[in-house]
Amino acid sequence: MTVADNTEIRSRRLDNGITLVFEQMPWLHSLSVAFLLPVGSVTDPADREGSATVLYDWLSRGAGDRNSRAFNDELDGLGVRRGGGAGRETTNLSASMLARSLPASLPLLADMLRRPRLQDEEFGSARELAQQELASLDDSPSQRLSELLARRYFTSAHGRSLYGTEQGLAALDPEAVRADYRGRYAPEGMVIAAAGGVSWEELSSEVERAFADWRGAPPAVPEVATETPRRHHVEADTSQVHIGLAYPGLPPQHDDWYRQTLAMNVLSGGSGSRLFMEVREKRGLAYSVHAYTRALRGYGYVLARAGTTPERSDETLDVMLAEIGRLGSGVEANELERARIGILSQLVMQGESSGSRASALANDMYLRGEGRSLARIKSAISAIGLDDVNSFLALQSVPQPTVVTLGPASSTTATTVAPTVA
Amino acid sequence: MTQIRFHHARLPNGLTVIGEHNPAAQSVAAGYFVNTGSRDEHPGIAGVSHFLEHMMFKGTDRRSAEDINREFDEMGARSNAYTSEEHTVYYGAVLPEHRGRLLDLLTDMMRPALRESDFDLEKKVILEEIAMYQDRPNLRLFELGSRRFFRDHPLGNSVLGTPESIGPLARDEMLEYFRSRYAPNNLILALAGAYDWDATLAQAQAATEGWQPQPVDRSYPPLAPAAGEDHAGDEKLKRVHIGFWAPGPSAQSELRYSAALLASCLGDATGSRLYWALVDKGTADAAQVWHDAADGAGAFMGYASTSPERSAEVLAKVKETLIAAQSEPPTKEEWERSRHKIATSLTLHGETPFGRLMSLGNSFLYNGAYQSQDELLARIMSAERDDAAEILADGAFDRLFAMTLGPNGKASR
Repeated sequence: MTVADNTEIRSRRLDNGITLVFEQMPWLHSLSVAFLLPVGSVTDPADREGSATVLYDWLSRGAGDRNSRAFNDELDGLGVRRGGGAGRETTNLSASMLARSLPASLPLLADMLRRPRLQDEEFGSARELAQQELASLDDSPSQRLSELLARRYFTSAHGRSLYGTEQGLAALDPEAVRADYRGRYAPEGMVIAAAGGVSWEELSSEVERAFADWRGAPPAVPEVATETPRRHHVEADTSQVHIGLAYPGLPPQHDDWYRQTLAMNVLSGGSGSRLFMEVREKRGLAYSVHAYTRALRGYGYVLARAGTTPERSDETLDVMLAEIGRLGSGVEANELERARIGILSQLVMQGESSGSRASALANDMYLRGEGRSLARIKSAISAIGLDDVNSFLALQSVPQPTVVTLGPASSTTATTVAPTVA
Repeated sequence: MTQIRFHHARLPNGLTVIGEHNPAAQSVAAGYFVNTGSRDEHPGIAGVSHFLEHMMFKGTDRRSAEDINREFDEMGARSNAYTSEEHTVYYGAVLPEHRGRLLDLLTDMMRPALRESDFDLEKKVILEEIAMYQDRPNLRLFELGSRRFFRDHPLGNSVLGTPESIGPLARDEMLEYFRSRYAPNNLILALAGAYDWDATLAQAQAATEGWQPQPVDRSYPPLAPAAGEDHAGDEKLKRVHIGFWAPGPSAQSELRYSAALLASCLGDATGSRLYWALVDKGTADAAQVWHDAADGAGAFMGYASTSPERSAEVLAKVKETLIAAQSEPPTKEEWERSRHKIATSLTLHGETPFGRLMSLGNSFLYNGAYQSQDELLARIMSAERDDAAEILADGAFDRLFAMTLGPNGKASR
């Protein structure tokens, strides 16, 4: 039957350090596979920011005994839809396919990760594309703000741009990036997560055949460090002021994780949650306003975002800060119940999609060292009472966010930094 | 395998109720699909469909805006709404035990109070949404370009409207639009996933008993699209955003499946002709084509993004690639690859009740007929390559319209 509560999570660790984690969804025709490697902008070589991004693109330009064209045509012919890229700490590659395509497609995906051709003649295009994507940030203030906020919030390499820098990209050459590939792409610490309509035995033997004889370990991901909270304004000729806040949250394996999850959902979950009600519904200040948790290995933080026209940006920021602060005074019983129902309902819907499950399991394995079944998350969320959440919130210090605004000159007292900072 | 069943009824007031029951589903998705959008607006009320969509969440005779938001949350609903040129859709996905309550809420919302105070407050949110779009040049490009391509055809109407059309809009104008478009015979109530059909039907019947049918029309003027090039200068932009349009099959055309496959061969995000011509080489960071099948008309549309120095080169390459396809239609191998790509995407999309609801409702609005996931896949897998040749033989890409948005650099034209 298709009851997610009984679904079992299978996992195993290969001798070379790869962890395979799987959830069988026998009623589905599809299979989603998520590959996660601890290769991100945080471990880019010094002065070569953007190397992980260029590398990810270069990997798909021919692998094994196939050139770029033949390699991509082969995967397309199997109907394998790919997505992914290099992030802060990890590179993620997701592949969705019809379940019957697994035996034919897994060796190709293994070729891409293990035997990319990385030919000189493809390097220029891979870098060019990364440079264009970096330049495109200028026309996308919302994305640009995300990068500016990370740069300000983190003092560790986590603040580096996912898109690299102009100087970093310009400094790359084929030999250096090939050396970077050899140093960072390795099985140790890699996760392969899969969900869908195949059996554990089939998946496990296909993964073993394609990956078991790989050897190596990547450099360690550095510790997170953050700045003393400040406010920054970056001037830009935009129509709205884009507001971003960041402050510390709980690390993903923390005992109070689910209490934080519920509290954050009261702040910004459904359409009746506090931020949406106070900013949009009661005051009409913004179309879009959200707060959400983000997890890195051993570290968690909260991001809050909104966009609003310049004359209303101060008020919008004030309301956001007030709501974030007010959360410390606790939540009401009915708010908590709505948050709980929302989370439980989302879990069931996540359990209907192979792609959602595969990527959630990959993240779980990376962040927590184990894949969580939906049933387990459900029982953890169900067990938390109002007192649990409120006593947790009472013990938290009042958040002191780093605030970055991007937009026309502002009346706020923020330190204005040069608009060239990207 | 599980037994998928289709349900269909038409209530005496004209409301169509349809459902696709999947006994294996763990959730149910339900929505009202309204056959109205910006194409049904006159210039004086541009943006009213979308503004009205927001107002439908602002309360009814029985509920305040806060009640509506709270009730969606109490059911743990994944809910939202959207407005396009042709449709306005309100939907929610919940666990099966909340089906009756979700239906009650969505149905009540279809008869909104449209209170003046809510109208004034929500107008600010709409103006913020328009301002947000101003900071997204790719979206702005399509508003500008569609207007020019479709010329006086209503498919070129802006969904959001402008500050100039929304600013002076009065509540009574919205009410008049609502009355003329939200008659039960212009709405479809659709469900997908786990539900009880008899209970659903009885509930829908009781809840909509007072709704009065009335004639609703939509105009279908002939499409006489623009060709050539146009440019909108914006010195704030660092990149050139290129949109292009050419006439194509409609949502009712038998050629629509082949048109989707053809668009994939020419301009899928990866592995297509435009991908190899531009993105693979790093000349453009995006170059895509898709087929937009609309009610009684259709178009191939595309988007590319590049630096000002290269925009002329990119646009020339786009044209060259599309025009070359007219004499060199997709090969057997290209066609086969696109079939498999689309089949995988459709399979993933169709795995959730929410995904099925969207296909179910939209396809019924366009064609008044049910199409199962298996039938849809079969149509894609059996679409003939000869059809693509037939579409291309029309020479649509010779009459391509291209719009660029970006700085007025010396090389940008």
